[in-house]
Order: sequence, then C-alpha cells, then structure tokens
Amino acid sequence: MSRFFATGSDSESEESSSADEITPKAPGTTLKQSLLLSDDEEDTKRVVRSAKDKRFEELTNLIKTIRNAMKIRDMAKCLEEFEQLCRAFLKSKNIVDKEGVPSFYIRLLADLEDYLNLLWEDKEGKKKMNKNNAKALSTLRQKIRKYNRDYETEITAYKENPQESADEEEEKEAGDSGSSSDSDDDDDDDDDGVSAKAFLKKKPESAPDASKFLKSSKGSGESSSSEDDDEGGWGSDPVGSGSESSDEDQGKSASLAVVFLKKTHESEKSADKKVSKRKKIKKEHLEEEPEEGEGEEVEGGWEKVKGGVCLVKEKPKMFAKGTEINIPVVVKKLNEILQARGKKGTDRAAQIELFNALAAITAENNLGQGILVKIKFNIIASLYDYNPNLAAFMKPDMWKKCLDCINELLDILFEDNNIFIGENIAEDSENLAISEQPFRVRGCILTLVERMDEEFTKIMQNTDPHSQEYVDNLKDEGKVCNIIDRLLDYLETKGSTEEICRVYLRRIMHTYYKFDYKTHRRSLGLPAESKSEQDQDESEGEDSAIIMDRLCKFIYAKDRTDRIRTCAILCHIYHHALHSRWYQARDLMLMSHLQDNIQHADPPVQILYNRTMVQLGICAFRQGMIKDAHNALLDIQSSGRAKELLGQGLLMRNMQERNAEQEKIEKRRQVPFHMHINLELLECVYLVSAMLLEIPYMAAHEFDARRRMISKQFHHQLRVGERQPLLGPPESMREHVVAASKAMKMGDWRTCHSFIINEKMNSKVWDLFPETQRVREMLVRKIQEESLRTYLFTYSSVYDSISMHTLSEMFQLEIPTVHSIISKMIINEELMASLDQPTQTVVMHRTEPTSLQNMALQLAEKLGSLVENNERVFDLKQGVYGGYFNRDQKGSYQQKHGGYQRGGYRNQNQNNY
Amino acid sequence: MASTAGTLDSPVKQIQIEGMVVLKIIKHYQEEGQGSEVVQGVLLGLVVEDRLEITNCFPFPQHTEDDADFDEVQYQMEMMRSLRHVNIDHLHVGWYQSTYYGSFVSRALLDSQFSYQHAIEESVVLIYDPIKTGQGSLSLKAYRLTPKLMEICKEKDFTPEGLKKANIGFEHMFEEVPIVIRNSHLINVLMWELEDKSTVADKHELLNLSSSNHLEKSLQLLMDRVDDMSQDIVKFNTYSRNLSKQQQQKHQYLQRRQQENAQRQSRGEPQLPEEDINKMFKPPQPPPRMDTLLIAGQVNNYCQNVKEFTSQNLGKLFMAEALQGHN
Repeated sequence: MSRFFATGSDSESEESSSADEITPKAPGTTLKQSLLLSDDEEDTKRVVRSAKDKRFEELTNLIKTIRNAMKIRDMAKCLEEFEQLCRAFLKSKNIVDKEGVPSFYIRLLADLEDYLNLLWEDKEGKKKMNKNNAKALSTLRQKIRKYNRDYETEITAYKENPQESADEEEEKEAGDSGSSSDSDDDDDDDDDGVSAKAFLKKKPESAPDASKFLKSSKGSGESSSSEDDDEGGWGSDPVGSGSESSDEDQGKSASLAVVFLKKTHESEKSADKKVSKRKKIKKEHLEEEPEEGEGEEVEGGWEKVKGGVCLVKEKPKMFAKGTEINIPVVVKKLNEILQARGKKGTDRAAQIELFNALAAITAENNLGQGILVKIKFNIIASLYDYNPNLAAFMKPDMWKKCLDCINELLDILFEDNNIFIGENIAEDSENLAISEQPFRVRGCILTLVERMDEEFTKIMQNTDPHSQEYVDNLKDEGKVCNIIDRLLDYLETKGSTEEICRVYLRRIMHTYYKFDYKTHRRSLGLPAESKSEQDQDESEGEDSAIIMDRLCKFIYAKDRTDRIRTCAILCHIYHHALHSRWYQARDLMLMSHLQDNIQHADPPVQILYNRTMVQLGICAFRQGMIKDAHNALLDIQSSGRAKELLGQGLLMRNMQERNAEQEKIEKRRQVPFHMHINLELLECVYLVSAMLLEIPYMAAHEFDARRRMISKQFHHQLRVGERQPLLGPPESMREHVVAASKAMKMGDWRTCHSFIINEKMNSKVWDLFPETQRVREMLVRKIQEESLRTYLFTYSSVYDSISMHTLSEMFQLEIPTVHSIISKMIINEELMASLDQPTQTVVMHRTEPTSLQNMALQLAEKLGSLVENNERVFDLKQGVYGGYFNRDQKGSYQQKHGGYQRGGYRNQNQNNY
Repeated sequence: MASTAGTLDSPVKQIQIEGMVVLKIIKHYQEEGQGSEVVQGVLLGLVVEDRLEITNCFPFPQHTEDDADFDEVQYQMEMMRSLRHVNIDHLHVGWYQSTYYGSFVSRALLDSQFSYQHAIEESVVLIYDPIKTGQGSLSLKAYRLTPKLMEICKEKDFTPEGLKKANIGFEHMFEEVPIVIRNSHLINVLMWELEDKSTVADKHELLNLSSSNHLEKSLQLLMDRVDDMSQDIVKFNTYSRNLSKQQQQKHQYLQRRQQENAQRQSRGEPQLPEEDINKMFKPPQPPPRMDTLLIAGQVNNYCQNVKEFTSQNLGKLFMAEALQGHN
C-alpha cells in the first residue's frame, strides 16, 4: 500500500487500495460491521483530500483491527491497538483540528465503550476469560473512560442518533460514488495528460489488485475462468507489443468490461445489494483505468519508461519496432536497466536476461565490440549481484554462466587489440562507438575475475566435501585456473604493475598447494607414465616451481602493497616445503621476518601463515630434521586448536564466546577441503618428533628436579595412556605413538619400530607422504639412534663397560654411527664414560650418582626450601620482614651457625661430577 | 619415637602380649595386606594393675565395594559375644594396624585412637611393621596419646594459638608403651621341644647387606612428607603475613580515630560513635595446625627409622668387612 502513496497520491490509488480493503470483508459473517466500516473508508476517502488521507487511513486501519479484535474478544490485542490508535490520532491532530473530529473515530470510541461495558457486566464471560485478557479488559475500560471524557459531546450526539448518522453517510456515499464515476474519469484523463509516466508506473500494480478484487467478489466457481480471462486480457498487451493499435485495445477492454459486469451481476445474488452496487461502480472505474493505461502505453512508447520495476514484461520488446538501433540507444537502454539494479523489487534473474538480450541485439546489429564489452561487464556484475547475501554461494547454472561470460569477454579482449578497459575511465569519457580511435570502456576485468575466484572458493566451502558434487565442482578449478591464466596473459601486455601483481597472486594461490607429481617423477628419473600424447605434453610443461619462482620474484620486486607480498612469500615457502626443498623454504621464512609481525596481519593471512608453518614442519620431518619439525609445529599443536588455526573447521564452543555473526565470518574464512592439510598426519608428525626428542631427554634427566617438558602435548598423551586401566593393543594413531614411546623408554627399538611403522600407521599417516619409503627409512634410523641414546642413559649405571659391537648389534647400526653417537654424548657430558679404542668398548666412569644418592640430593634440596620457608615465618615473628635475605647476603648467617651451610648440598652436588 | 617413659598419670605402664596375638596379627597381614595396604583389627584383653594384658584379637574384615552397608560395630559386637561364649577375654582394649615403611602418623589414626582412648581409657594402638619384620626383626610397637593431646582433641582447638597454649610439640603427641611378649609355660615347653626338631633354614634375613631399596623407599616417603610440610609452612606464612598486615591497618585506623576524636573534643563536637572494629577487620581464617604437627611427627618417625636402619646396616657392613679381611 505504502508504495502507492510513495509514488504519488491521486484518486486512482485510493480507489484500488480501498477496493483491496473491502475484499476480505465481503464474505465476512457480520455484514453490518463491515458495512459500517467500508462506509467509513469511503467516507474518509471522499471527504479528505490527499494530504490528509494518509493519517485517516492509518486510523481506519487501526480501527479495523480493533473491531476485529472485539469480534474475537481478544482484549489484549484490543488494548494494544487502542493505544496505537490514540497515538496515531494525536499525530494527526493538526488535521483533526482543521477538519473536526472524524465521525468514524467517535463511533469507534462509543462502540468500544459500550462493548466494554457489556463485557464488564457479563460476569460469566469474564470468568471464562484468561488472565491476560481479563487484565487487558480492565485496563482498557479505565483508559477508554478517561479518554472519552474529552469527546463526551460528540459521543452523546452519536449515541442519540446512531442509525441516522450512519444512514446519512451511506446515502451520501452512494450518491457520491455514482456521480464521482464521471468526474473521476475526467480527473483521470487530466491526470494522465499531466503525469503519464507516474500513471504508467502504477498501472501494473493496480492490475493485480483489480484481479484480486474480482476474484473475491465473484463466486468460487467462476474464479478460475475469470482469472483466465483476466490474464488473457493483460497478457495480450505484451503480444501487442507496441504495434497494436489503440482501437484494438479499446475493443478488447470493452469486452473485458462486459465480462466484469456479468460477473458482478452474478455476485449480486449472493452479496448484499448495497455492497455489490458500490463494487460495481468501482469496477467500472477499474476497467477504465487499465484501458487508459494501455492506451498510454502504446502511445507513449517504451522510451518513456524509466526504472524497471516490472522488467519481466518489458523483456521481449527491448526496442520499439522500427527504432534504429544504434549505440546511444543501446547505452540508454543499458542505463535504464542499470538503474533498477540494487532496487528492492527488482527481479535480478530478469535483469540478467535483459542484459543477455541486449547483448544479443548488439551483436546482431554489429554495434562494435566496445558496447558488447560494456554489456558483458554488466552481465557479470549482475550475476555476482544475484545473491544479495554475502554468505550465500552461486548456484551451479549461474556459476556456469558466469564462467562462460568471462571467457567470452576474454575472447573479445584478445581478439580486439583496440579496447582499453580500466576502472579509471570515467563514464563520460568512454568511447564505445566504432571509430578510428580505440574503444574505451569503463570496468575492471581483474576485479571480476577476482570476484569469480572468491565465488569459486565460496562454492567449494559450501559443498559437502565428501560428495560427488564436490568432485564435480572441483573440476571447475581447471576452468578457473584457465581464466586466470588467460587474464594473466592479457594483463601482462596491457595491465599496470599492480594489476599484474594481483593477478600473479591469484595464480600463485591456485598453484602453491598443489603437489607437482610430474616434476617429482621426472626428478626421480622415472619415465612419465604417459597414457596419451596429451599427458606427455603436459608433463613437458613448465615446472610449477619455476612458475612460482617467476611469479613470486616479480611480486617481491614490484609489489607495493604489503599484503600481496606477504601472501606471495608464504605461498612460495609453502610450495618449497611441499616439494621438500627445506633449505630454500627455511631461508625464505627467516628472511621474510614474518614470524615477528604476523600477529598484526588479518586472519586469512594468519591462516595462510599457519598453513605454511605446518607445511614447513612436515617438510623438516621428511628431511629428518626432527628438532626443526618439532619447533615449527609446536605453536599450532600446543594450542590444541590446530583445526581452527588452519581454517579447516570450527571448534564447538559456547555461544557466549561466539555469536552467530562471528561464526558466519569465521565460516567464510575456512579453507576449501581440497586444500586441507591432513590433521592426523600433522599430529602424528608432531607426536613422533616429540617422542624422538623427549624420550632420550627424559632418560637423561630422570632425577633432575628442574627438568622441563619439551612438549606438553606429548606428555599429555603419555598421561592419558597411563591412565588407561586396561591396555589393549593400540588402535588409534596416538595410542601407537604412546606405545612406541613406552618401548623406546626401555631402549627397545624393535618394538618401537613396529608400533610406529606398521600397516595401520602406513595407511593412516605415512602413505600420505610423497616419498613414503624414504621417510620410513629415515624414521627407522632415527628410532634406532634415539633408542640407543635412551638405552645408554637408562642403563649406563649397570654397566662397567660395554662393547660397541654389542651395541651395534643391538641397535642394528654400523659401528661408526654408534661411535659417533657415543662420542657426541661424551662431549656433551651427557654420558660419563670414555672410549677404549683398541677394544672398541665404552668404559663407564661410574660417577653418576645412584638413585639413592639422587634421592638424597633431591631431599636435601627440598629441605633447603623448607628451611627457607621456616625462617621466613621466624622473621615475621621477629618483625624484620625480609631481614633473612639481607642476612644471607652478608653471610653473617653462615658465620653464626657455622655448622649449617646453606647451599652445601649444592656444592656437594657439583663435587660429585 | 616418642617419650618412651610413660608419664606418671598414665593408667598403663606396660603391655603384655600373648604370642598368639602376635602370630594372629602377622597372619592377618600376610593374608590380606599387600604393599601399602593397611590391615586393622581389634585387641581384646584386660587391665591388671598398671599392666595391660592383650590376650586375643580379631581382624576387621576387608571392605569391598559391594557390601557398603556392612555394619562394623555390629560385627564387632557379634564377634565379642561369640568369643565370650567360648570363654575368651572379651574386653575391648584397643586396636592394631599394619604400617608401610613406618608411615602411620596420620589424622585418621589420631582420630580413631582418640575416640578409643576417650571411651576406654586404657586402650592402645599396636603398630605392626611387616617390612621390618620381613627383614628379620619383629617390629611391634604400642602407642597411646599423651594426656595433653587428649585434651586438645577434646577441645578441638587446632589453631596456632591453641596449640601454642597447650605447649605441645610433635615429640609430645604419642607415648610409646613398652611391650613384653609372653607365652604360657605350656607353649614355652612346646617351643623347646620344637626347636630341636625344626629344620629352620640357615637363611638369616637379618644379615642381608643390601640396603638401598629400603632406604630409597623411605627417602621417597620422607620427601613427600617434606613437600607437604613446605606447603603447610607457606600457607602459615601467608596467614601470618596477612594477620600482621591487618593488625597494622587496624592500629592505624584506631589511631586516626583517636586523633579525630581529640580534634572533635577540642572543637566541642560530640565524639564519633564506636564501631565494631572486629567487623571491619575480620581476622583471616587461621590454618589448622594439627596436620602440620602430624606431618612433623611422621617425618620424625621416618628419620628415626632411617637412622636405625643405617646404623644397623653400617654395623653389618663393618662386620662383613672384618669377615672378609679375616678370610
């Protein structure tokens, strides 16, 4: 309703709206009520002129709802509405001052009071009411009493002669409408003459209204046929499409009028006479309106139509017949369509259709590539616009259209070297005409492609990764890459440096996470298992490493925005790490200094950083750099939120911590499934490297009270394993690692090996590496070495000497390796022993304190702290807080109590070694 | 461990145990106790002058989860009644408990011994150390709470002040009562006879030279106690610091109050109303000191054990050396 008013108020819209209002009431049970009501409306409509009717309309609407509520005895609703009514009335005060209190208002007040009094008296009914209603009733009663005091005279006047006033109005009404039909017609004509455009805009809306009106007024049996008629009637005008003569139109509408009239006659039988009569009059109005409207349409031609509220109907007749289709016309048309963009009621699908049609026409008429490019730009933009919600993703067909469109656009751009496109070209400096000068078109293809890429990510995010659909969608990745490649080619010749950087980054983003199997195979010296010629061709293509290198270096050199460079570096590192180029990856990471300031980056970059670090760690592990691997993975794993940090899923958390809005944002950040890093692999790599570091360390520092954990996560897993009441054979990856750790603690490398590398673990973890065999060999070797170390730490106290041959046999390591490991341990003072070269034995020095001695040392330390604490209590009593420390520094304490030497046990400790 | 000489006012000066009771206790542990688990039972006997004669005992049944509603008192009463029927001493004179490396000074022991001693004045607790016994020397000790400790327990005043007032240290918590094992003449005669026939192996656990295991265990336990002690002391430390800080605040407040009152007086104004100073400065909750005391007792106990053990072992080592030199 409000839309009509917004477009401008004249009698026509009033008519249609009032008609609209009557419709639900006509079949109502209490005829009188509705009768009165409709009277009111008619009345107000007639009496009040356009500026005031808005207010009164509001009032009548409210009154209507009140009456409805009264009918169903819904007091609560009644009260609510009444309060609104009072407010609305207050708002329209100045109008009321001018016009006097409207009689319908008074009538309502009077009726309501009577009604309430009636209810109040009705004790039985009151009892039946629910609490809410009863409460509302009493409040409302009080309110209306107070309120009515102001209008006492009017109400009494009304009460004295209620029937009369109502009748009066009705009569007046009838006469009014009868006579007004003519005058209205005149009015309309005038109006049309003055504001044809406005009228046209309104027309389509009033048509459905009218049909609705019709439907309700006639019997149900006829409704379908009438609808058909109706549609036929309206549908005919698109067919007519401009060429139709006004005469024909007139005839058509005349026949329509007959239909209407006939129907109303039928309905007359069932409905009250008065009502139908009025309706009939109104219908006649309605008939005339469209008639004139159509006439206008034809006469005015389509050029006059501005704004595309009803674009569907316009579609087929893009241009009036005979119009010479030239560039200005098309541009104008384009602008027309564009104006509707973003408006509320615009049918976006239709808009896309329109653009397509326009493009077809343009192509047909050979208007040149310039305009075509411009239209294409708009098509793609409106495709993106199709989803108003940022979180929603494109539908497959839309997506396909979008891809095709961009491809076509690129085709055009490649074909024609004379087209300049750019965001900076102003709308008015565009050159679309075919001329000597090159075309200049406003628009940025790069932005469109970037948006396309984002849409692709969105599609992937929103597809179930375990479905066939995902695979199908993923196949489009090739197309996306292709488009990006083409764009890259294009921009390399035409684009600015920044644009090139941007498109390079896109390219990098699509390359960095993919493992280059062909290069890998080639580097291994294997012949490519080519099944076809095509494969062969592909395998001879450029190495992804070389591409990455070229693109990234360009960005490093040319980019001026930090973000692109950061992303490029991270992707580059990731790519290096993925292909086991550990040193390059590490050096690049260290050179970039990203570790220092990554926390200031935006979340997507941080996610990329996390992914890179993880990949770096896994790479280090593959290369056998256990310590580096552990350090790289520590940050991600220790938080226990690896999933979230890598953007591979949301953690279940309380709603307090994250509201729906945040969740949406986080969801948008997720990495599509095909780029995921296997979390189990990640955890396994971390735990195994932690095991290889931690177990020897634990063995070496068994009695050290101040030893620290290297990996909290690993210790946690160990504790979980210990807490198990019944230890079965390991099932999960974690259990395997825990079991292996236990075996390693005893220096039993064979068991450890069998726990870490077996079929289960192979299928779960190790087979995921590209060079599985090499990694496994490395692992076995590491396990042997670390087990040897652990063994020496744990059992050195029971040996006087041990032959290196035995050790080498026990751990299946070559003697030089054993030699080097033991030498290292001796040098680092981890093992108190010396090597006896001639006999190839390790001779223990037996200077390690026994466990009892260790215990005694620990006890001494504890006692020391106990004494310290105790003395503090004593100091407090003496009132010289902190005096103890001063004394200690001066050393007077030791002198006084010569016997007891603080720290003596520590000296002793050192003497032991 | 404690003051060995029973104080004068103690009703029990000596304990005489039947050999059978000792055997029964040992058997009980052998059958039911293992590792650090503790077995308990009831001692029966009678008081003769200042001598407590323990003539019989029976074990408390081990608790399992499915008989949670098992009534121990009922069981004891039944048991005593049955014993009475066969004309055995049925007077309740205390209880026994096994120990693991001498760790028995605990709150639970204190509480139950208190309730025993409260109800039956002459009751004692027998502590049986199976590990020491296993090493070759029977270890059985009888303890009673000192009258001082009894009083404190009665008042349930374990605050620092209360303990200070009672002037009780960890040395004065328990008193050990000397034990005499006595057998009837008939049994003695039997023993004599058996001694000739018996083919007891020449193994003498007593002479075992290895010591580190026992010492390690003792040290471990000692260390745990020391840790507890440290914690308690830190707690007490914070408490006393808080207390003194508050005292200071209180003092300052009072002084300010006084000054203001003096000023007001000089100006002829009425004095400020007295406020409840205790309400404003609530003293911090004092930590209970009884546990500390018990820990100290336990630590002392461990130390005694270790000392005893090491001195014995040193003796053994010297002996072994001498023997070796001799050969």
